[in-house]
Amino acid sequence: MNTNNPLPREISPGVWWLGDCLVQHHKGKTYHSYNAAFLIIGSEASILIETGHPKDFPEIERQMKNILGDGRAPLKHLFITHQETPHSGGLGRVLELYPDLTVHGDVSDYHLAFPKHEHRLKKMEVGDSIELGDRQFIAVEPVIRDLRSSLWGFDTGGRVLFPGDGFAYSHYHWDGHCGKVAEEAKSLDLADVLAVFAERALFWTTFADMNIYADKLEEMLNDLEVDIIAPTHGLPILDIPTTMPKVREGLIACG
Amino acid sequence: MSHHTITELANGKVYALHNTLPLDGRVSAYPASTRGHTASNCYLLCEDDGALLLDTGYAAHENAIIEQISSIIDTHTPLSIYPLRMNEFMSVGNAMAIAKHFNVVECYASVPDVVTWLEFETIDTNGKKMDTPDLPTTIFDPSKSYQVGKNGHRPINIMNAPIRLISTKWIYDESSKTLFSSDMFSHVSQDSPEGPWLIENDDTVTTSSFVRSFLLNTRYWWLEGVDTTSLRKGITDIFDRFDIETIAPGYGSILRGRALVEHHFSVLDDVLRSLDRSAVEARYIPRGMER
Repeated sequence: MNTNNPLPREISPGVWWLGDCLVQHHKGKTYHSYNAAFLIIGSEASILIETGHPKDFPEIERQMKNILGDGRAPLKHLFITHQETPHSGGLGRVLELYPDLTVHGDVSDYHLAFPKHEHRLKKMEVGDSIELGDRQFIAVEPVIRDLRSSLWGFDTGGRVLFPGDGFAYSHYHWDGHCGKVAEEAKSLDLADVLAVFAERALFWTTFADMNIYADKLEEMLNDLEVDIIAPTHGLPILDIPTTMPKVREGLIACG
Repeated sequence: MSHHTITELANGKVYALHNTLPLDGRVSAYPASTRGHTASNCYLLCEDDGALLLDTGYAAHENAIIEQISSIIDTHTPLSIYPLRMNEFMSVGNAMAIAKHFNVVECYASVPDVVTWLEFETIDTNGKKMDTPDLPTTIFDPSKSYQVGKNGHRPINIMNAPIRLISTKWIYDESSKTLFSSDMFSHVSQDSPEGPWLIENDDTVTTSSFVRSFLLNTRYWWLEGVDTTSLRKGITDIFDRFDIETIAPGYGSILRGRALVEHHFSVLDDVLRSLDRSAVEARYIPRGMER
């Protein structure tokens, strides 16, 4: 556990960024990245987005308990963007901790990975929603994805997009970026840090014409009127008009 | 109902551990519309003084896989584990369970402290490890050569998969002339859970149109209209470099025989050529669009 971990952090009213950094080595440099989880607090129910990297399970559980223990709506749902273990490896642990909780998303493979919890898996398609009381969580098109079973999520309360592997980039620990949002990390070179993930986790983006995907991303951000982007691996984006052009440039540089 | 069988691919040297899955739309490695059955295949490579397990299977098959391994090696045999896709449950699902039952001396990875990537269940909420077996990490170094066991007679070639979604390794075993291809060449599923899970002649389905559809409706949905030049070159280089008699994928039927191997490589190359941006216009592919 990192004793200087700046998380959890509330990035929008009722939306908490959870987790801790992971050290990554790439082409002789040492980077940090996140395998984050997010907690959305509704008036009637709360939902956890992603379960985090296995190394972070105890830390995320502690962060979550502290937040939920303050009289907030109970955790009733878990949404996972896709089946890779840094996103979904904690599914079994979360279900053990919260016996009434159900798992939502494209739930392929989880009956094989966590067979005793098969009856708690609830399949979602794009457009399906989960009621949290004063806000909804909606499954949306995963524009930049890997497995065919990926889904993204959208919180209507804070107009927050949860794009899983989309907007996947590392950050500079040496320059104090840990726990900061993208706009606070002034020295962050998005083309550089997007490339770290492109080579390892989003190999296809190095072959594809990423203009197509950047266009689709911008269309989605406009259609949904997204205010905040909360990626699993990157730093949250709070000022989309400022940061999205840099993301676009970085995506295209990868391709 | 899952069928659990073992195929001995090379006399005392290579065993395929098959555990079958019904294809009902819930297996992400196959198109959502595919029906029938496939096998999740882990492979045990054996020498007198050690063994290497490629992938560890889904937790749903934990007991079967432990029984399968137990039927081949004893609990004292030094066992190495290599998850070919570190981030996928099929590769890592039973790593810790196997480490509890067998003399696992190392787990290959590209990251240090591999236990922190594999431990899904047994670290309690205070961060205290509960009954966690020791699992030393061997960080893969592409400049080094690797063997099964320690006798120096069983070289294996470990390589980055030339076509992949996420970080994926392919392994070529010189002794058995087998290419372990992880999620590639995995399109041959069966009507029955009884297989066959080893095919030595025509597999009856491997045409360019079938493979193209399979790739585009699974994790290779992104291939249409990309630059496939370097992908094709990487695959061809492997086919030219190694004397491959058997393709052993992580899912589906194993493919044996030079003619069948050559056919599969040829079809894959043809599909990638037909998907290149010079042949087809790139476009946005919505989730779930089957073609």
